[in-house]
Amino acid sequence: MKSILKSKEMSIAAIVIALCITLTFVSPVFLTADNLLDVLKANSVIGILAVGMTLVIITGGIDVSVAAVTSAVCVIIGKLMQVMPDHFSSLLLLFLIAPLLGILLGAINGVLVAKIRIPAIVVTLGMMSIINGLVLYITNGVYLNSTNFPKVFIQFANIKVFGVSVIILIFMAVALFTWYILKYTLIGREVLAIGGNKESALRVGINFDKVQVFVFSYMGLLAGIAAIAQTAYTKSVDPNGMLGLELLVIAGVVLGGANIMGGRGTIMGTVLGVLLLGIVQNGLILAKIDTFWQKVFTGCIILLAVSYDHIQYKRSQEKLAKIEVEA
Amino acid sequence: MSDYLLQMTQISKTFPGVKALDDVRFEVKKGEVHALIGENGAGKSTLIKILAGMYEPDQGATFLFEGKDAQINKPIDATLKGISIIYQDLSLFSNLSVAENIYIGRDSGKKPWKKVNWNEMENVAKKALQELEFEIDVQTPVEKLSIAQQQLIEIARALAFDSKLIVMDEPTSSLSAGEVEKLYRVINKLKQRGISIIFVSHKLKELFAVSDRFTVLRDGKYVGTYDAKELDEDQLITLMVGRKVLYEKNTEKGLAGQTLLELKGLTKAGNFKDISFELKAGEIVGITGLVGSGRTELAQAIFGVNKPDSGEMTLNGESIQIKSSEHAVKKGIAYIPESRKTQGLILRQSLTNNISLPILKELRNGFGLIKRKKEVDLAKHYIDTLDVRPAHPHRAAGDLSGGNQQKVVIGKWLSTKPQILIIDEPTNGIDIGAKTEIHKLLRKLAAEGLGIIVISSELPEVLAVSDRILVMRHGKIAGELDIAEATQENIMNYALLGSKASTLKKNVQASKEVSV
Amino acid sequence: MKAVSFSKESILGLIALIVFILMSLFIPGFFEQNNLNNMMFQLPEFGLLALAMMIVIVTGGIDLSITYIAAMSGVAIALMQSHGYPMLTAIIVGIIVGLACGLINGTIISKIGVSPILVTLGTMVLFEGVILSITKGSSISGFSESYSLIGNGYYMGIVPLSIIIFIFFAILTGVLLAKTKWGRSVYMIGSNPVATLFSGVNNSRVLMRVYLYAAMLAAIASIIMTSRYNSAKVDLGSSYLLQSVSAAVLGGTEIQGGYGKVIGTIYAVIIFQMLSSGLNLMGVSRPIVNVMMGVILITVLVLNFVKGKIEEKNQKTAAA
Repeated sequence: MKSILKSKEMSIAAIVIALCITLTFVSPVFLTADNLLDVLKANSVIGILAVGMTLVIITGGIDVSVAAVTSAVCVIIGKLMQVMPDHFSSLLLLFLIAPLLGILLGAINGVLVAKIRIPAIVVTLGMMSIINGLVLYITNGVYLNSTNFPKVFIQFANIKVFGVSVIILIFMAVALFTWYILKYTLIGREVLAIGGNKESALRVGINFDKVQVFVFSYMGLLAGIAAIAQTAYTKSVDPNGMLGLELLVIAGVVLGGANIMGGRGTIMGTVLGVLLLGIVQNGLILAKIDTFWQKVFTGCIILLAVSYDHIQYKRSQEKLAKIEVEA
Repeated sequence: MSDYLLQMTQISKTFPGVKALDDVRFEVKKGEVHALIGENGAGKSTLIKILAGMYEPDQGATFLFEGKDAQINKPIDATLKGISIIYQDLSLFSNLSVAENIYIGRDSGKKPWKKVNWNEMENVAKKALQELEFEIDVQTPVEKLSIAQQQLIEIARALAFDSKLIVMDEPTSSLSAGEVEKLYRVINKLKQRGISIIFVSHKLKELFAVSDRFTVLRDGKYVGTYDAKELDEDQLITLMVGRKVLYEKNTEKGLAGQTLLELKGLTKAGNFKDISFELKAGEIVGITGLVGSGRTELAQAIFGVNKPDSGEMTLNGESIQIKSSEHAVKKGIAYIPESRKTQGLILRQSLTNNISLPILKELRNGFGLIKRKKEVDLAKHYIDTLDVRPAHPHRAAGDLSGGNQQKVVIGKWLSTKPQILIIDEPTNGIDIGAKTEIHKLLRKLAAEGLGIIVISSELPEVLAVSDRILVMRHGKIAGELDIAEATQENIMNYALLGSKASTLKKNVQASKEVSV
Repeated sequence: MKAVSFSKESILGLIALIVFILMSLFIPGFFEQNNLNNMMFQLPEFGLLALAMMIVIVTGGIDLSITYIAAMSGVAIALMQSHGYPMLTAIIVGIIVGLACGLINGTIISKIGVSPILVTLGTMVLFEGVILSITKGSSISGFSESYSLIGNGYYMGIVPLSIIIFIFFAILTGVLLAKTKWGRSVYMIGSNPVATLFSGVNNSRVLMRVYLYAAMLAAIASIIMTSRYNSAKVDLGSSYLLQSVSAAVLGGTEIQGGYGKVIGTIYAVIIFQMLSSGLNLMGVSRPIVNVMMGVILITVLVLNFVKGKIEEKNQKTAAA
């Protein structure tokens, strides 16, 4: 496994590097620390969500409600911040409330998928519609800006460590933490085991329902954290600002080599997948190509990635010779 | 404490419409190899699944493990009590390493945030593998291992769990002779450590080679438990089937008309190699060999759903490449797959819809619409001629018993008026009466001029229907026997050793010595 | 029990009737010529998309790109007409564009075998991108007079033309599904693809035609929509995506595939249309109507689950 996945990650990394080299020639701006940090910062929210989506996809599910959940949490913390005092405790409170809200919404998805056995795509599609509708109803689509946010939040949003924005740091922390969960905790190994073989997982006593509820709740948790990152990034709340973002999130995960057939997928791959998408976007801007083409590229990349991945998968299945034919 | 490790009594299991187990008892002593025997559908796997906690028995069952009342409601309960089950299709995770596969399940039910200790995991795995004398890097992903190696990983998992009882469900079904020998040695070793083993198998010779005692089930009922020494093979067969001889060996000579199908050097990597044979109109060719010897893959290649890499296929003297199942139907090739429920029938659909599916094209009127009346009449025709019961064209196929379902599948293919019929495990999971009925039907169809290929693991069945028998082994045809010279013995020689020479007896003797 | 058992569909028809009567009685303005007309004009586009979604779901798939396929053909028609091509040519080109989109879905799903969710997710982004690149995000108008009749005109002065188009395609879909080899294969593949393949059916071709047919229905829906709105832009009909899934599911289509009927879907579409228009008359805001669509979808599936559990229990007690 290691060698295969490594080679998969290596190939994405190789594409990222090749793209970077090309872009360096296209525009001298590309290979500057500022630009690269900007790319990272701009894609941190997608990255945080993609890390959570990786777990969902490894277990064979999908969650198209992530952007809606993130928006909902953004709106709620945005409203809260209008009335919060400018005190450090407000920040703490935010970091408590946002993840909890996310977990709650994610858990609803998880329970519907695991206990009621509704396909994940349908549950999360329905959830997306409900949440988007409610958000639109409550906010009327009105933008909240930072004038009423506690100053401490703005200060937090502007933190930089050695020039690296706190938003990027959150993304990195989330990625590392999730990597740790996958590699070193029981639940993480159970996620991978279920992805590998659902039937066997049941036989060795892994509680499939519990793991499903976990991955959707964890997705919710990261959506809550992503909401903080998003609010810190834009220093405002735009109820419609994240419409359709779930597609980029899924695209990043799929590009990173995770397979909806389950069992495959690494955090490293996903991070690289998100970076690849971000760099393509950045490159299009630097090359002064109409931003509308971005979606065309993204769509093509998704289709190519899933097709390529599936063809590889079929090949590897064929090669798994069931019969040892004598020479 | 008694010397019984496991005591299951009054075990019944009712499924909607079927009583799979009826007041069965099953007792296993400490440190013995106990064979659980019965034909397909006798209830072995249901019993194992109850033991494993996958099924809940009906009320009234008593279940003692180590003399204590055992509550097994979930698979993990069984594991924690020290019962390990090695299923035929194995319970491994191909994406995880050897070490993890051996260790997995130990932590089930513990806190989800429990830290995984990779060092401990690898040490446990190494220790278990050492006991099996199996040398392999514990970090290797399991998908890189052969089936035999994977099976050892499962056994290692059971050892690592300190299991007191290991159930092996058809463990040798895809092993080579050498690997089987190795497995016997392992079983012997486990036995010496006081571990009890339940061995489920069809292969009588093998059962006698390893087992101390037998428990026989027939049609969901308990027949008896016997000491291996007090029985011989014939007696065991009698106990299993309830009468002395199961089937008469075929004595009719088929028509053997013109050659319908000819294969020359058909090869597919990882499936089969260099397959050449002929099928004539009016004859039945039996193909046998161990499960996993490439029989099904070969059949699917002829049917166009498993493309061969090289070799030639001739149909009625013309060279042809069957590109798809649709193409096969057009050319008069019919294929009845092994698994009726998942591949042969669409259970939720009606008998009519199932029977007409391959020939819907011919049931259309000028506007391309299906003539429903003609369709139902067609279904009724086959329901009547094949005596399908209940004779209801609109009943869902899933409502029928196994034997009747198989008749529906046969009816479906007869409706296409095929010239070649390939039938994979024709009587799998069908009760005895229906089996002979299907055998007669196959002989009758051959007499009408059909060329039939029967694939079967049941040697008596192959002997009962075939005119000629091909034995496959490791993807190749190991031998061809005319019905007149064929016996269970020489077939097994080809299947296990690839030669006609009767070294099997010695072999079995040898393994018996090892295990005693 | 058995003596009086109605099909799922007839129960749904009954519910539709009850909703109609209740709304007519209690919601002022519901049973008025104006409102009834409005509903009749809105129904066809939604109905066509729901039928398209239903067929895909019957095979066990889903088509997330369906509304963008509609938008693609809508934009194509708008561009053709605004550049002075005759209406008929524009319509034909629009349908061809829709079919081309369906071809992309169908090829990757049926030939390569990638899961429909991922493929249509990808094509959804792709089609949206293509439309955005062409329209730069703005809407295109400039349709001919006669074109606007398709979505706004009446046949013989009473029945909306678009309803006739819808009825035609509903009957066509019903006949294709129930009476043809293709239709039968659609149900068979949805029930058990392996057994279907092993019965000599060319699954890949059947699936290809499913995605083509769905795309064609989407193109027809887009003709009605563009004609009605007199413009085409990227989000043409995008709110129908979830609604069409909901309508198919409420209409009795099994989300795992294998079962689904045209008439059930139509009843569901009518119920949704009445709910949305009734709520609108009661002054409930648009977003809340969307919320209700999601709630109904999930509620129906939860009820199905509960019903299944109860039946299972009954069967057990019956067997014991």
